[in-house]
Amino acid sequence: MNYTKQIQEIAAKLFAEGKIDVFVGYRMNGFDDNQVPVLISGPQDISKLVFTDKSVFNLVNYLKTDHTRRKRVGLVVKGCDSRSLNLMLTESQVKRENLYVVGICCEGVVDDDGQRMQNCVECMVPDAVVYDELLGETLSGSQTLTGSKPYIVNVDIAALAEKPLTERAAYFEEVFESCIRCNACRHSCPLCYCAKCCIDQETATLYNGANTTSAAFHALMTWSLHLAGRCVDCRNCEKACPSHLPLHLLHKQNESVIFKNFQEHLAGVNPGDRGAFYKYSMQDPDDFIM
Amino acid sequence: MARVGVFVCFCGANIADYVDVPQVVEEVKRIKEVKYAVEYKYMCSDPGQGMIRDAIVQHKLTSIVVAACSPRMHEKTFRKALSDAGMNPYLLEVANIREHSSWVHQKDKKAATDKAMDLCRMAVAKSIANEQLHEISVPVTKRALVIGGGIAGIQAALDIADARIPVVLVEKSPSIGGKMAQLDETFPTLDCSQCILTPKMVDVASHPYIELIPYAEVLELQGFVGNYKVKIKKKASYVNFKTCTGCGACWQKCPVKVPNEYNLGLDKRKAIYTPFPQAVPNKPVIDAEHCTMLTKGKCGICAKVCLPGAIDYQMQDEIIEREIGAVVVATGYDMWDPKPYEEYGVGRFKDIITSLEFERMVSANGPTNGVPVRPSDGKVPKNVVFIKCVGSRDEAKGIEYCSKICCMYTTKHTILLHHKVHDSHAYVFYMDIRAAGKGYEEFVKKAQVDTAATYLRGRVSKIYKKGDKLMVRGEDAQIGQVVEVEADLVVLATAVSAPKDNPELARLLGISYDKYGYMSEAHPKLRPVETAKAGIFLAGCTQAPKDIPETVSQASACAAKVCGLFAGDTMKKDPMVSTINNEYCSGCQNCVNVCPYGAIVTDEVPVGHGSKDLRTVAKINEGVCQGCGSCVAICRSMAINLAGFTDPQIINEIVSI
Repeated sequence: MNYTKQIQEIAAKLFAEGKIDVFVGYRMNGFDDNQVPVLISGPQDISKLVFTDKSVFNLVNYLKTDHTRRKRVGLVVKGCDSRSLNLMLTESQVKRENLYVVGICCEGVVDDDGQRMQNCVECMVPDAVVYDELLGETLSGSQTLTGSKPYIVNVDIAALAEKPLTERAAYFEEVFESCIRCNACRHSCPLCYCAKCCIDQETATLYNGANTTSAAFHALMTWSLHLAGRCVDCRNCEKACPSHLPLHLLHKQNESVIFKNFQEHLAGVNPGDRGAFYKYSMQDPDDFIM
Repeated sequence: MARVGVFVCFCGANIADYVDVPQVVEEVKRIKEVKYAVEYKYMCSDPGQGMIRDAIVQHKLTSIVVAACSPRMHEKTFRKALSDAGMNPYLLEVANIREHSSWVHQKDKKAATDKAMDLCRMAVAKSIANEQLHEISVPVTKRALVIGGGIAGIQAALDIADARIPVVLVEKSPSIGGKMAQLDETFPTLDCSQCILTPKMVDVASHPYIELIPYAEVLELQGFVGNYKVKIKKKASYVNFKTCTGCGACWQKCPVKVPNEYNLGLDKRKAIYTPFPQAVPNKPVIDAEHCTMLTKGKCGICAKVCLPGAIDYQMQDEIIEREIGAVVVATGYDMWDPKPYEEYGVGRFKDIITSLEFERMVSANGPTNGVPVRPSDGKVPKNVVFIKCVGSRDEAKGIEYCSKICCMYTTKHTILLHHKVHDSHAYVFYMDIRAAGKGYEEFVKKAQVDTAATYLRGRVSKIYKKGDKLMVRGEDAQIGQVVEVEADLVVLATAVSAPKDNPELARLLGISYDKYGYMSEAHPKLRPVETAKAGIFLAGCTQAPKDIPETVSQASACAAKVCGLFAGDTMKKDPMVSTINNEYCSGCQNCVNVCPYGAIVTDEVPVGHGSKDLRTVAKINEGVCQGCGSCVAICRSMAINLAGFTDPQIINEIVSI
């Protein structure tokens, strides 16, 4: 998967036609073969742009910065990224007319060791769902939305489910213990765009105070519930976490429960969809009501 | 620092028998903010309220907790006691230790006491964070909308208009009158239905305070109690009502004949028509579906014969907008379609008719000029079988409920049959005779004697044809035998069912409806004409099957409610409404999406102080907000708080237990 040339051409064309102020893409990090996001504000830097299977980050996150807000932006999205973009659009955080979206039919990206990322192996929606221009061959995978491909339960979730409750509790206690509450997960998430996060508010006494396991637990659980039915499994948070917490466990657990109970709901696939918890349907599960 | 007073009520023995009240008082005294705590036998009594008033002054209390019954019961009483003592009434907190503790834990006094103490601690903790709130005044548009021009809508409109409040009356069909206009005589006094109805219809048309919009439907309702905006679609009638004189030349000459809905298809009407001679307004409309000029562009006879030139084939649907303050829903009912009764041969045998068809036949202005006839051969029937509960009280094929009016109208039908065909005989198959009402039982008894009708208690199992007669086989449960009756005509007392458009209308108005499609009242006993949505009222069969006296009473009750609502220039409203903190709002509009009252809109605010850049935030309309808290729950950034139930209050409560 290498679209470096095409993306450079598109960016050059957009700048030449004056359609964008800024282009968000990937560049080489300069010391190994990994990439970092780059914001390009003019045609002079276009040669920096690359796109390969090392283009791991979700660039939609950069739409919430002051560099891109209220500007005309061109950006590159893979399948998962495009779903988060869909949610950003639905939740009125960006205006579609300000964007030029280069969609990728993603074949999966790889981690530092060259291994295919776990979320790519389990990906249900590899093709970009929102775009102005689509690069690559449409993969049959995108048809899975209609249910032809069965939902893949995350391997780690499946493994955890096997363990007894006490063991699981002990495991998560250990996980929350190593959280340093730097909030990098939140900053890296495109859908954490709130003006002031509830965790930081003075009245939110449950998360305040010392960096205790309990405070980390409440903060991470609240965060995961605020993303339940919205998380697109791009794993920006996990890549950002300095403590290497397995944050996907929280999100994938929510996703699998929601997929099962809310008419095979997958976040951000359909434009206008706000997520399973933000709409009411007669088919919603109600067996918990006495 | 907060100074809380706690007042714990015995409620006679209701609380004191199961909760150790003195122990509760001792417990709350240990909370440092509690400066005064006391118990009393009846806190809601005048001396009880006096204790609260005195303590507020004496102990300089800043908030009050009353541990007693449900706040639904006496919250208002105690709020008034607070304001009488010069305190903001919303500094009151009620701990419900009766319904929530003593009544539900009667077997375990210790558990009940523990729970009562928890509830009190929570109430104290919450009350510490209570803020002074003030009632909200909302301006009122003094104009009512009545949906449906049957007897319910007519009565409601007239009563409201008589109080000099303008009314907009919207009717779906070309004329008002509804089902009552199709009836011949009415039980239990056998008044001529038309004779008592048509004067009221004319009153509606001529009333200076009533704006009648016939042949129209409600499209949209926005806003809130006192300040609704309604969009009404006036269907194209293709006749200019202003110039039309109602002379009738058009429908006499119209060559197109279609089944007449007013007579339930028993005869024909023209494509340009007035539904019935007494119609109000007495102006014809063109049935666009059947008029050949409108469908094929050929004919145009009505335009040629119309001297005032009132026919306008180019007329379009018109959208009318009105500002109103209250709505009366009076959409009436539908007759249930007896098709599922295949064993009766419904649809196969022509001589099986429904009760409303019989009603049209015996009406003087009906298709047969008041003489009941067999639809198959036009002969006057001698033996007529009436079958009651067709659809009603039948879980398998019809509806579970009793339609309430069938016993009475069938009795009336036996009388009408007896009057019109003197040598006829009526057989009535019935399950029970339900004749509760003023003069109803006497009416039934008298009819049974006068008509000498044969009453057979039991269900009909089969109807089949024998020659030109219908054989009705049923059970006579009183003699425990199967009986067969040879009938010339069979009349089915079909059930009353909710109008099929009711669910759609309910959604459009934002009110609830039950599983049958009837609109739901706010409380079955104490608020039978209100809906759960403030300012929307129900009259007549749109709520449940009813007879005419009941419908008229309910319509007048609606009018009283509307007049009460419009009594002042503004309306007072509880201040428990949501507020939005613009600093925290990220404008995702999830709250707009979940608000069941449409109380949240979007607003543009500067990005920073003095900035020209704008960003979108949510904005609450205080008048519409009912304080349900859905938006508070959905808001991820906790930008929304519900006054009286703010985050600090709730967290205080949680932390206190």
